[in-house]
Amino acid sequence: MATVHHFHPTLVPADAISNHVVALHELARRDGRDSRVYAIESTRVLDGGVLPYRRLFRAAQPEDTLVLHYSMGNEVFGQLAKLPARKVLVYHNVTPPEFFSGINPHAALHAQLGRTQLATLAEPVELGVGVSDYNRRELESAGFKRTAVVPLLIDWRAYDVAPDPAVLAQGAATRTMLLFVGRISPHKRQDDLIRLIAYYRACIDPEAQLVLVGSYRDQPQYHGRLRVLAEELGLTGAVTFAGSVSLAALVAYYRSATAFVSLSEHEGFGVPLLEAMRFDLPVVAYDAGAVAETLGDAGVRVKTRDLPEIAELVALIDERPELRASLVAAGRTRLADFATERVEKRTRDVFGL
Amino acid sequence: MNEVRARIRQRRESGRYDAGVQAALDRPLPGGAPLFTDGLADPLRALPAVMDADPAYDPRSRKRYLGPVITLARRTAIWLLRFWIGDIVERQDRVNRLLYAAIRQQALAPSPLGEARLAAIEEALARRERDENASNLEWRFLAARFSGVEEQIRAQAAPFAALFPKGGRVLDLGSGRGFVLALLRERGLDAYGVDIDGAAVAETRGRGFEVLEADAEAHLRTLADRSLDGIYSAHVAEHVLPGKLVEILRQARRVLKPGAPLVMATPNAATLTVSAHSFYFDPSHRRPIPPELFQFLLEVEGFTGVEVRSFARTERRLREDVPAGPIRENVQLLNETLFGDRDYAVIGRAP
Repeated sequence: MATVHHFHPTLVPADAISNHVVALHELARRDGRDSRVYAIESTRVLDGGVLPYRRLFRAAQPEDTLVLHYSMGNEVFGQLAKLPARKVLVYHNVTPPEFFSGINPHAALHAQLGRTQLATLAEPVELGVGVSDYNRRELESAGFKRTAVVPLLIDWRAYDVAPDPAVLAQGAATRTMLLFVGRISPHKRQDDLIRLIAYYRACIDPEAQLVLVGSYRDQPQYHGRLRVLAEELGLTGAVTFAGSVSLAALVAYYRSATAFVSLSEHEGFGVPLLEAMRFDLPVVAYDAGAVAETLGDAGVRVKTRDLPEIAELVALIDERPELRASLVAAGRTRLADFATERVEKRTRDVFGL
Repeated sequence: MNEVRARIRQRRESGRYDAGVQAALDRPLPGGAPLFTDGLADPLRALPAVMDADPAYDPRSRKRYLGPVITLARRTAIWLLRFWIGDIVERQDRVNRLLYAAIRQQALAPSPLGEARLAAIEEALARRERDENASNLEWRFLAARFSGVEEQIRAQAAPFAALFPKGGRVLDLGSGRGFVLALLRERGLDAYGVDIDGAAVAETRGRGFEVLEADAEAHLRTLADRSLDGIYSAHVAEHVLPGKLVEILRQARRVLKPGAPLVMATPNAATLTVSAHSFYFDPSHRRPIPPELFQFLLEVEGFTGVEVRSFARTERRLREDVPAGPIRENVQLLNETLFGDRDYAVIGRAP
């Protein structure tokens, strides 16, 4: 029987792309398919294990499907493109190199490679799947002939865990907690969030807190500079770099925050936007990349990066229960579009699995 | 969004959103070059720093055992290539600097055609401004011949002084020579004036009054919400264009405390000898405003209890001592139309 092979260069816990790889793998298995996951580097524990990518060269058969998850350049993609299997590329978007330029040359180089390599994959890949239409359009301009949109497959049941009591207690002691979830990276613009909380504390609530959940492992330079920025603005006690957290802690952050605020300048999909809605958190987000597409009619999108305006908007939502309630309700409605069963069906239809 | 902006305005006025907060918002990311994406937003400013930045490449290898060998190999390769790469880098650097200088020159150098057109537009505007406001006129002599006398001006304002609460902060918008300010002060009000005429302001201030030289609309915009107990404004409305009048009313409504009165007096367009004749004694008058329209403007801007009050009639009238009957009625009607009230005032209260 034909096998489905999934590949992404790295698989780590608490990462949207890794989660997606695993979700597709589990879906195929539930459907009775033989499914395997490969990576170059993995710290992820998985049913069936993560296999080293070299095994693919022997395992791939012409009748198999190879799902390449693409978010960064890597020479391995070029090698895998020559395998005899039918190839589907899932495009998670590549952060444009200019965000890393001058701050992390290594990441800039990889981003540059990611963009140029994508075009070389257009020919051998049968189907290009964008997780958003924004991504699909990029595939099209990279030369992909057949493209489709399938949103990220998110297993919402996994979020039904008991929230971390320690984080909840910390949240209960904070009147205003602005939350952003996403790895610490220049394109996510956590520096502007720090400036925003400076305004918020000076003008709205002197006790307000900013919590930045997300790994800072990949961008140590940017993270270090963020810390200094917070220090220079006298915000050391007001900004929490939570790092990569457990699901229980993440749920607790979502449950205790006042609002989810994103100033990210580049998003290929934006899973945390949906997660925030799942936990009835109002969302205020700068309109960049696929943000508008993911938010739909829910949440507040801002078109200009005027930090005082965004801060006052958040405060207004906080002060007006009816405004907050309408945003939460809209979020609930929007979430139905990303319901696990619905996306599962779409995945089966499009991937031909 | 308007509410959000209003809140920011309040923060500024309350002094919370001060220079310190602005500095925090504008603070660049410390510890190195600014974010490249920020630089892209203002490339001309970011370029020099980037061109002068030294790329830091560390050829040292930290690998155990092999490290020193790799380091030596890299250093040797760099040393061997230095002339070749150096030439290329030097040429590229020259190209970059020339390009930067060229772009900067382009950006900063005014385009001759654009400058000429701009100058022509500015000149035309200035001329239009002069023509419309007759700024070249000998205004002193005009004022000497046509301006109202102190008694008249005071008498016109007197009935309204009682509308303002004792000790209240009252603005005389268009305070002129300060006659009304004197009256308001005598009535125990904390009155101050605003006028656009610098000479009048200086003169009035010299007599100990609090007067600011400013445009009416611009001054109102600087005031906080609900900060005044009343506004009196005589003979301002006919000097401004309709849109500006609407804006003055809108701002007045904002800065007045709830229930505080706004009084605006203007020549009466309904009296033909005024609207066809005496109105044009002042070349800076724009257009007569009918009382019905002025009342509507106040109402539509949200003032409550809006009413129109008239003043004294003209002295010159047709004789009405004719026998009772149609002729006397006609004469009365003619008197009303031709020699009716010269000025009127609209009064409204802020909601």
